[in-house]
Amino acid sequence: MNENVHQRLNLAGDAVQRDDDGKVWLVGSKCSACGKITFPPTEVCPECMSEKILPFKLSSHGTLYSWSLVHAAPKGWDLPFIAAYVDLSEEVRVFAHIVDADPSTLKMDMVVEACVASLGKDEAGDPFESYAFTPVKLGES
Amino acid sequence: MRDVEIIGAGMVPFGKFPEKHLADIAWPAVKQAVEDAGIKKRDIEATYCGTALGGMMAGQRILKKLGITGLPIINIENACSSSSTAFREAWISVSAGVYDAVLVIGVEKLSKFGGGTLPLEKDDWEVSHGLVMPALYAMRARRYMYEYGLTENDIADVSVKARKHGVWNEDAQFRKEVTREEVLASRPVADPLKLFHCCPSGDGAAAVVICSAEKAKKYTTSPVRVIGSEINSGKYMTGYRDMTSPEITLRGAKQLYDEAGIGPEDIDLAEVHDAFAIAELLYYEALGFCSKGEAAQLLADGETSVGGKIPVNPSGGLLSKGHPIGSTGVAQIVEVVRQLRGQCGQRQVEGAKVGLTHCTGGGVSGFDHGVCSIHLFAR
Repeated sequence: MNENVHQRLNLAGDAVQRDDDGKVWLVGSKCSACGKITFPPTEVCPECMSEKILPFKLSSHGTLYSWSLVHAAPKGWDLPFIAAYVDLSEEVRVFAHIVDADPSTLKMDMVVEACVASLGKDEAGDPFESYAFTPVKLGES
Repeated sequence: MRDVEIIGAGMVPFGKFPEKHLADIAWPAVKQAVEDAGIKKRDIEATYCGTALGGMMAGQRILKKLGITGLPIINIENACSSSSTAFREAWISVSAGVYDAVLVIGVEKLSKFGGGTLPLEKDDWEVSHGLVMPALYAMRARRYMYEYGLTENDIADVSVKARKHGVWNEDAQFRKEVTREEVLASRPVADPLKLFHCCPSGDGAAAVVICSAEKAKKYTTSPVRVIGSEINSGKYMTGYRDMTSPEITLRGAKQLYDEAGIGPEDIDLAEVHDAFAIAELLYYEALGFCSKGEAAQLLADGETSVGGKIPVNPSGGLLSKGHPIGSTGVAQIVEVVRQLRGQCGQRQVEGAKVGLTHCTGGGVSGFDHGVCSIHLFAR
């Protein structure tokens, strides 16, 4: 059974899912009319304006297009954090945090995989989380 | 379409004025522009006021201080391009013959937010996931440095040049030179960008009066002609995009050059949207001042400093002059007007005849920028 992590204060809602083994993937949209794939999910196609949209499971791995170690952000975010753009093979670029990584070891176009991570705290002081990516460890897929 | 000319320009020194209301920051800039034009209040037929975060009816709040009321006042929001958009709309109205003389205002008070990064719209997906403007430009910088072999020194030198120009501009927020070492030693904001790679937060206002060319003769013998006006939204792209190549600026510049019948080689100075140091290098290329990958060399050769082939941001730019976002578009135009009139003292670009202003606005995911407006002026 897939666990929908929305109930756990996840910023991405239904756009992130994981299975019993802890494998995480993002869910975007695919237009049934023209085939356009988008992330984040949408209810109307930005290509052809069709509303025949279905959820579409995206790759759990992508490549790192660029990143920045961010020291200045609105209240709530755990600082510093690594902001990044990750390119998925479905020709989708995703803004994401990179977690469990030493910034000095990051390389352009390296392979990263999706995960769920705590990213900060809300106004009540409760942690919130969302999808993130992390460098693929040696010996893993 | 009729020819349109600028007959008056004014601005206040940019800085932080938390104790002042928006209208109190702005009215001296408006008064200066109106007096510079020599136009009577009653001959101003409409006003376009650009502000991004200044709240409802900023134009009315400002103009009641000066008693310029009972006329159409149109308030315009378009992020950092709010007042370049206002200028464009004003230009259309005069060009189309709807009005003969129109006032344009740009104003912003960012000190009310108490510092930090520019507040962005939380409805946006990436903003809701922690995107801030410095991080976006930092990612552009890292990719550009990687693809074209730039060092951190190359990026820092943009700030050094901006601050040098700012020393000569009494309206600039920063009027002190910095060294490359000081830039690199400043506090990290979004690696590889340090504090001195980022425009300051602040408050300010600028204003111009524009007029049909025919009527302008009545007011001035040294008008500045608007020879091109362009605005675009970015293209929404969900997929891969080349962040080293600002598509909206490339597209807009080509369209503008084609329409005006001139090229980048004809431009004597440019005020470009250097909100972060990397941006200026990207815009040298996008505006055609050099080829792709050659921006750092153009800067290092001194060609974009006052005295070079194509001085960029002689005002000090956003990095030094400051960036109260809604005021930036008109403030850039004020600088070009003063340059083309030969009023700029130590930062004067000798013999300047043609000037360009370039103003973008971002903060919505999926766009290179949400908006970009480019204008060309000549004397």
